[in-house]
Amino acid sequence: MDQSIDYWRQVIELSPWIVATPFLVGFGIILLNTLVGSSTKLVKTLSMVASVGGVLYGFIHSLLLFQALVKHPELVPWVKNIPYFTSASFTFTVGVLIDNLAVFMMLVVTSVSLLVQIYTHGYMREDPGYSRFYCYLSLFTGSMLGLVVATNLFQSFIFWELVGVCSYFLIGFWWNKESAAQACMKAFVINRVGDFGFLVGILWFFAVTYSVWSGHPVLQFFDKDGYDVAGVIQKAYLAKNLDVQTLWFISMVMFMGPMAKSAQFMLHTWLPDAMEGPTPISALIHAATMVAAGIYLVARAYPIWQSADGTPGGMGLTFVAIIGAATAFMAATIAMSQYDIKRVLAWSTVSQLGYMFVGLGAGAYTGGLFHLFNHAFFKAMLFLCSGAVIHGLAGEQDIRKMGGLKKSMPITAICFLIGTISISGCPGFSGFFSKDEIIGAATAMDPMLGGVMILTAGLTAFYMFRVYFMTFEGAYRGNAHPHESPLVMTAPLMVLAVPSILSGYLGFNFASLGAISFTGEHGKAFSNWFGSFIYFKQPVFEGINGTVMLSSIGFAAAGFLVAYLMYVAGSLKWNQAIAESKSPLVQGIYQFSFNKWYFDNLYMGLIQKVILPGFQAFWKLIDILIVDNIVNGAGIVARGMGEGLRYAQNGRGQYYALVIFGWVAGLTVLVFFLR
Amino acid sequence: MDQPQSILTAILLTPLIGSVAIALMPPEWARKLAIAFSAAMLALSAFATQSFKPGTAGYQFEQIVTWITSPFPVQYHVGVDGFSLCLVVLTAFVTLMAVLASESIGDNRPKLFYSFVMLLTLSILGVFVSLDLLQFFIMYELELVPMYFLIAIWGGPRRDYAAMKFLLYTFFGGVLMLGGLLYLYFALTVDNPAMVTFDMVKLAQVAPLLPKSAQLIAFLGFFLAFIIKLPSFPFHTWLPDAHVEAPTPISMILAGLLLKMGSYGLVRICMDFFPTVFIDYGHWIMALGAFNIVWAAMACLVQTDMKRIIAFSSVSHMGFVLLGIGSLSAAAVNGAIFQMISHGVISAALFFLVGCVYERTHTRDIHEIGGGLAKEMPYVFYMWMFAVMANLGLPGLAGFVAEAAVFYGAYTSPMALTTAPHHAMVQTAIVIACTGVILTAGYMLWLFKRLFFGELLAKWQGHLSDARSTEKVVGWALCLSILILGIYPMLLINQYGNVADAVTRGVVSKMSISQKPETQL
Repeated sequence: MDQSIDYWRQVIELSPWIVATPFLVGFGIILLNTLVGSSTKLVKTLSMVASVGGVLYGFIHSLLLFQALVKHPELVPWVKNIPYFTSASFTFTVGVLIDNLAVFMMLVVTSVSLLVQIYTHGYMREDPGYSRFYCYLSLFTGSMLGLVVATNLFQSFIFWELVGVCSYFLIGFWWNKESAAQACMKAFVINRVGDFGFLVGILWFFAVTYSVWSGHPVLQFFDKDGYDVAGVIQKAYLAKNLDVQTLWFISMVMFMGPMAKSAQFMLHTWLPDAMEGPTPISALIHAATMVAAGIYLVARAYPIWQSADGTPGGMGLTFVAIIGAATAFMAATIAMSQYDIKRVLAWSTVSQLGYMFVGLGAGAYTGGLFHLFNHAFFKAMLFLCSGAVIHGLAGEQDIRKMGGLKKSMPITAICFLIGTISISGCPGFSGFFSKDEIIGAATAMDPMLGGVMILTAGLTAFYMFRVYFMTFEGAYRGNAHPHESPLVMTAPLMVLAVPSILSGYLGFNFASLGAISFTGEHGKAFSNWFGSFIYFKQPVFEGINGTVMLSSIGFAAAGFLVAYLMYVAGSLKWNQAIAESKSPLVQGIYQFSFNKWYFDNLYMGLIQKVILPGFQAFWKLIDILIVDNIVNGAGIVARGMGEGLRYAQNGRGQYYALVIFGWVAGLTVLVFFLR
Repeated sequence: MDQPQSILTAILLTPLIGSVAIALMPPEWARKLAIAFSAAMLALSAFATQSFKPGTAGYQFEQIVTWITSPFPVQYHVGVDGFSLCLVVLTAFVTLMAVLASESIGDNRPKLFYSFVMLLTLSILGVFVSLDLLQFFIMYELELVPMYFLIAIWGGPRRDYAAMKFLLYTFFGGVLMLGGLLYLYFALTVDNPAMVTFDMVKLAQVAPLLPKSAQLIAFLGFFLAFIIKLPSFPFHTWLPDAHVEAPTPISMILAGLLLKMGSYGLVRICMDFFPTVFIDYGHWIMALGAFNIVWAAMACLVQTDMKRIIAFSSVSHMGFVLLGIGSLSAAAVNGAIFQMISHGVISAALFFLVGCVYERTHTRDIHEIGGGLAKEMPYVFYMWMFAVMANLGLPGLAGFVAEAAVFYGAYTSPMALTTAPHHAMVQTAIVIACTGVILTAGYMLWLFKRLFFGELLAKWQGHLSDARSTEKVVGWALCLSILILGIYPMLLINQYGNVADAVTRGVVSKMSISQKPETQL
């Protein structure tokens, strides 16, 4: 194609429609449902076609954008802003920012959303809320794309909350289920806790840089005159408005937002419960896109997490890496003992998100985002596979009641296996490449950190193969009638299987294979395609550290082997040993993992035993003790005045009023002269 | 285009004529007449907006009729700027919604009911368009009469208590305002006899020149009156009682419009007349606002009466107005004004929806309702969902704009600058206020869950019905306006933005005179 540069410029200038279309579709479906009702076949088909069409358009346009960026890198970053709130103090804008990072994420969002929406047609066909589901999916896709193209932190916050509320609607989609009702509320409230930190972080950041923005659109991610987050930090640092410590604290407070959205250590408890929602949204929202928003935000506003004085690294990033590592390890240990197929995958998502944060925190900017990219595909596929399993077993989610499904649902089994291999970090599959980059960077930052990540890789292989073996191998243990899903559901799986195997090669150059170093050093680096597209400031390529790579492969293989011996060969009986063990230590560890490190118990206990009673006591104290004393006084007055008003009703109102007004006038004059 | 000079008088006369007409016509006409007059009011205010010139400084559509000049001046003076115009439109809109929502309650003595509603509207509109302090005061007090009877006649079981409590608190506030008003008058007599006036336009110029102590005393009179109406801790207890007992449409007007009289007065009178008080005590006003936001939200978490929760939520949301105006940042004052309008619509929607549920279940107790209502009343469920999201400040809906503007504005305001004397206190107050976003989400979602999610109790099976067509119309109108304001807030800000900037500039300009920051020396 030899279109002129004007053509590509136009492609970029029309990009706001990618965001607007799903919203219009969403509102259209609402109108349609209100005017016509949601039960007719026509409305259902229209909703589906409009929703899928909207995201299909988005996907095609994103591909065109991508082409434009490759052909004419000089056209970006492209920014278009409109004012949202103006005042003499400052102006907030919303708009569209197109650059490599945004287009990369748009591709991920639209492609996964497209496949999930196609899959939904099969999965939700019998559900009375079919049309409503497509409406929510469209609104979510629009909100997520709005977050991706956000030009400033304020706009990020807007769409950040909007994706959260879509997630709330979808988790609580089956509102008559008590567990779903609990889960959606929990998701929203915990996300609000994160948003609180996010908001305070932005406020703080805004306050210290306030004088520097000086009339420019505020909180921008990119500005051609340098009035963007990076430039302003530099200017504020030089003007001594901002020191290194302050920026550390700001970045840590602000990190609460990503911690909640991406379910990181301490604010993670909502994500596994979010599995109460229908499986397509677990794949789209709670695996591939929304939960990656935290990673995206940190990548987008990376300068905030860096050191203000411009030196590489910094406490902000270290904090990100530590939280990420803690999350990755914790979630992996929990995933090992869970029995709900979706929850194992959810914990695995939590763990993999931790990896991405370690990548960003350890300075592997490209590596972290590369893992986001690969993970989006294989985890979406894994969730859709689990959905197919649940669909085929009439709603069964307990892997103890599965087994042997390989025979009855071969496509699902193969796709699940591909996903499992990929996430376990088997060389040659996509997960391996990005995970290796992250582990390499983590090791370079701190060997301890690298060690934790390598250990976690082993655990990952174990719990993923445990799920695979318990679900698809051996003999069937349930009493449903397993059957393979229709093509509309399996086709998206098969499409997703392709990037799950191959997407890793985008970030790999075969030349580095020849330069592996086994001396504990990084080998010679060669440029790769992904790293030349997504980078911070300038592309950074890392060679392969053979020692690290081999040890992570070794741990993963060990994990696989243990799972195989325990669940297929049956020669290893650790699980029985644990179940029968009387040792309090063994039982304690098992229960610690099974009960998800007791976070839920802790939080619920805090809320029910401390916070709510605390509020109640506080409220009683103030409202009843202090205010009501006034009110009781007022009650006496009320009775007295009631008597007075009785006279007023007897026709002597004017005297009464006269007396009061007279008193007021008299007292005022008195106050005035006594002053 | 020439501006229609008597448009405001026409807007004021509409409800007055309406109330008389309803009283004279047969009862079966009452509702139709009320709808017609409210619609006419909305049309007139839309026409006024159409011919209004936004961005022009000062008042428009001004009309002055002098009555007497001695011993003290009495005149009829009306006029609007962008700020009061927005509130006039809000009043007309919410009144129409409330009249529409009176379908069931208004059947009981319809003539009296609708007549009182019209009278109530007259007094609210009067407050927003008055430019004479005496006239303002009379309009402010006039509202008491219809409101008292509307609660006392059409209210719930404890209506007598609630109506009396409302009356006492508000009357007490009125007395304080009268005191402040008289004090201001006498103080001016001493300070500058040539300039003695009740004209608010002139007062805004002369009152700030009064000595600090005189400003403070007069300010206290007005401020206390307004925060009783707002309402703010510790004078808020009338609100939950009044709301719980008031019938649905009256709650809509009470929360949507009446509270705005207080917040309007805070900006129009307290900020304009007494700037030095804001400079010296702005941080305390902010602290009070922050306390209101958080404490009322906590109170919501321990209530079991759904209407009480929404009522306390109003207290919490009006805290944003205090937080905004105390901060002396143009953006935050702008946000405070936006909050008045957005809360006007959102709280009207919420009280309307509470009414929808109450009308069908005849209980407001969350435990008695027991959840699962979504099954039998899906339409009400979706409207509730929308209103809940609006109330917890979801971006894209009206409530968020105001909250964000107040937070961002306050945190970057002159009060929060590190050079400001009380910046630590101010910053702490704002961060505490920010925890309100968690608490608000907590109580709203909890309420929503306990009403609509889960299984329906057996006793409700088959006894509930979904929204009627009038209810759908009201619901859609309220929800759409919330959405439009949230997506395109500039619609409103274009109208009143310059007022917020000017008011703030007026106060801050005094700051440099009275405080003289070191940087300027």
